[in-house]
Amino acid sequence: MNDASIDELIEGLAGALKPVRPRRVLRGGLWVAAGWVAGGALLLWLFGMRHDLAAGEAMAPLPMLAFWLIVALALAASWSALRMGLPGVGRDYGGWRWAGLAALALPLTALIIGLGDSHGALTEMRPDHGMRCTLDGLIAGVGVGAALFAWLKGGAPTSPARAGWVVGIAAGAAGAAAVALRCSSNDMIHIALWHGLAIPLWAVAGRVLLAPLLRW
Amino acid sequence: MSPDEPSLARLMAASQRGDRAAYRALLSDCRTWLLRYFARRIAPHQIDDLVQETLVSLHRKLATWDSGRPFLPWLAAIARYRWIDALRRQRDEAELGDHDAAVAAEDEAVHARLSLDHLLTRLPPGQAQAITLVKIEGASIAEAANISGQSESLVKVNIHRGLKTLAGLVESE
Repeated sequence: MNDASIDELIEGLAGALKPVRPRRVLRGGLWVAAGWVAGGALLLWLFGMRHDLAAGEAMAPLPMLAFWLIVALALAASWSALRMGLPGVGRDYGGWRWAGLAALALPLTALIIGLGDSHGALTEMRPDHGMRCTLDGLIAGVGVGAALFAWLKGGAPTSPARAGWVVGIAAGAAGAAAVALRCSSNDMIHIALWHGLAIPLWAVAGRVLLAPLLRW
Repeated sequence: MSPDEPSLARLMAASQRGDRAAYRALLSDCRTWLLRYFARRIAPHQIDDLVQETLVSLHRKLATWDSGRPFLPWLAAIARYRWIDALRRQRDEAELGDHDAAVAAEDEAVHARLSLDHLLTRLPPGQAQAITLVKIEGASIAEAANISGQSESLVKVNIHRGLKTLAGLVESE
């Protein structure tokens, strides 16, 4: 290859140029919001809302706190993933880490509660008490996962591996947040373990399954 | 004369609107910038290929530039991605031939951020030396082994491991 072939390439690319609509994070954000609403609405339509919300009452304080922590993680991870689609040296994509750190308060609280009441903890940890919530969370996160994947596929993520992790975390947290509106349990161990489990499972799926597809 | 940020951003905005003359000028300026960018990052005989690959990627990802942001960091991110890809291919191919000596490049803010020298300081000395000798200065494996005092297989292993670490370091920058 030499200067002449680069000249030819430039001519070819210029000849093939068509107007493009610049990608905006806001538009990607609308896709994500639509995916989140679709996943959550499907879950609630199929299985109904938790009893207190359905009765028009407020959620109990601890589940509500857990809900907002998970929502914050979903928002922060989604925002980071959206920004990863528009590359630039020096841009910071790590905002989700702080929300992730805050969300670790959930398993930590569950652990402390579990140490104080090991019998109750073991009961709550039985799969028949919570596996259903994890599965619901995984499914409810598909909308956000698909939206972010589509956005990044059309974008230019310069670290597909990291993008895969973050898409997974966003999708898992979005799914877990939707489950919090469906599941009536107020138990922190149940919430941290079975609702929260959707997040690492989705994260691993994002890294293993989605990351290779995000290469360009 | 090196292309400046405001001119490049103007040309890019016009290119996104479909202005072919502006796009041609933009690609020519990008070629100049990329030749310098890659000059100290890869063996000289691979630079033209890498410039072409980056220009094609730029064309494919034209819509991912946000006119509210500077152009050069965007171009550098795409160039860096293609560079990492080339490093990975080298690592996978394990093809370690003789290369020409690399020419020095001028530093700029964006270049400095990803300066290879800076990255090499973060590798173990043996890996950094093997990569510098073979991949940047163009020495053969045997020459690198003589200069560094490492065995030929250790030079190969250090290059393999070093490039893998380097790719990870660059992605995390």
